[in-house]
Amino acid sequence: MEYFRALRAVVVTSCFLGVGLLGGQTAAAENLFGSDEGKFLLTAGFNDLEGSGGGGLVPLAFITGYGSSDSWGANAHFTSIQLKDFQLRTYGAAVGALDRVELSYTRHEFNVTGTPLDGLGVSQDILGLKIKLLGDAVYDQDSWLPQICVGAEYHKNDGIDHAAQAGLAGVTRVTQLGASAAHGTDIYLAATKIFLAESLVVNAAVRATRANEFGLLGFGGDRKSSDSYEPEGTIAWLPTRRLAVGSEIRTRPRNLTLDDESTAYDVFVGWTPTKNLSLVAAWLNLGGVLGPATGVTRHQDGPYLSIQAGF
Amino acid sequence: MPSPMRLWLGCLGLAACIAAGNAARAESGGLTLFDRLGGEAKLRATVHEFVLIMESDDRINFTFANTDLKKFEQLLYEQLCNLTQGGCPYTGRDMYTAHAKLNITNAEFNALAEDLYEAFDRVHVPYRLQNKVVAMLAPMQHDVVKDHPVSQNPAVAK
Repeated sequence: MEYFRALRAVVVTSCFLGVGLLGGQTAAAENLFGSDEGKFLLTAGFNDLEGSGGGGLVPLAFITGYGSSDSWGANAHFTSIQLKDFQLRTYGAAVGALDRVELSYTRHEFNVTGTPLDGLGVSQDILGLKIKLLGDAVYDQDSWLPQICVGAEYHKNDGIDHAAQAGLAGVTRVTQLGASAAHGTDIYLAATKIFLAESLVVNAAVRATRANEFGLLGFGGDRKSSDSYEPEGTIAWLPTRRLAVGSEIRTRPRNLTLDDESTAYDVFVGWTPTKNLSLVAAWLNLGGVLGPATGVTRHQDGPYLSIQAGF
Repeated sequence: MPSPMRLWLGCLGLAACIAAGNAARAESGGLTLFDRLGGEAKLRATVHEFVLIMESDDRINFTFANTDLKKFEQLLYEQLCNLTQGGCPYTGRDMYTAHAKLNITNAEFNALAEDLYEAFDRVHVPYRLQNKVVAMLAPMQHDVVKDHPVSQNPAVAK
């Protein structure tokens, strides 16, 4: 089963990455897909954990893709995260239109690789929508107004695999681990400002969410089942036109007794050699994950690697 | 061990202080951006490279089809010198009037900025100083790009 999944992930992602790369191969006014690729390097952002245009962990108020306000852009991504005892692979595609609206789809495949729950797998699908409300991160250099977007991410948890192997025979749904629901929607507001004269990008977001571990452990729980309002932030320095170096932080609710969920943060380097390719290398720390359930309370940190191809 | 959020905000504050300190030091040195860019020689070289790059850029060269490029080069130099406190008078038209009939799109405006970055690279102006110049030019988008422009680029399929 996991081999099939891994194969599917590789095939789907390579197809999308290939199409993205090929489509962008032209320096003329428009590429093969009619996109003008008219935005500045780096201003499409990367894909955050849930697939929205952002850094690696936190969405930015950028619309994904390199299409200008008269055009469109799209990209596909594959991300691999290996923490001490957990592994998350995500892949998906995102489309940005008119530098105004963004749609994204991302699949999460999560596997436990250590602790007594070794072998357990969880997957989920995430659909994202983002709309630019006001401001322009690039042009409004003469004002303090950031670019502001509102976004929604609908998560549908597909359940738990190999629970018997991990000593949880009969467990197939996250609701059996204490979650109130297997699906949920995050709503966020993100404000991003490029301080171009200082080569800095600053981003702040707030998210209404009841997701447990990004939805991998469902939504709501025995401790709290209603929405929490969680702040998030990004700061990045642009040492060259193609590089962003920075850090992100994201607070999260703690809804489940079984999970010592806490603030997640990372430091990252993002490299965009062309408008058709981006690579992100980060070090991600989620804090404790499932500590009360497994007895393993150490911080779960590790490398985060992501590739994005598109236009 | 402070919470990650406090630690993160603390680092952010520290970074802001360092950035502010750097900015203040640059100011107190009495050097204008014009000086830091390398003065008249460097800026004239940049503008010259820019015109060469722009002429061969199919995304925007059509907008200069009826332009006297020698005159344009001089006016662009004056404008950049003026903006960066080099003390030159700018004798050209304002941006709104100069682009009134050109139907410039955002993509074309950005392409021009990319060509300017490229020109700065060719004459070895550091990226952080390039950004200070582009930060002054970026708000001109409001005057250069009109609402709902339709690109006049013959290279774009209609």
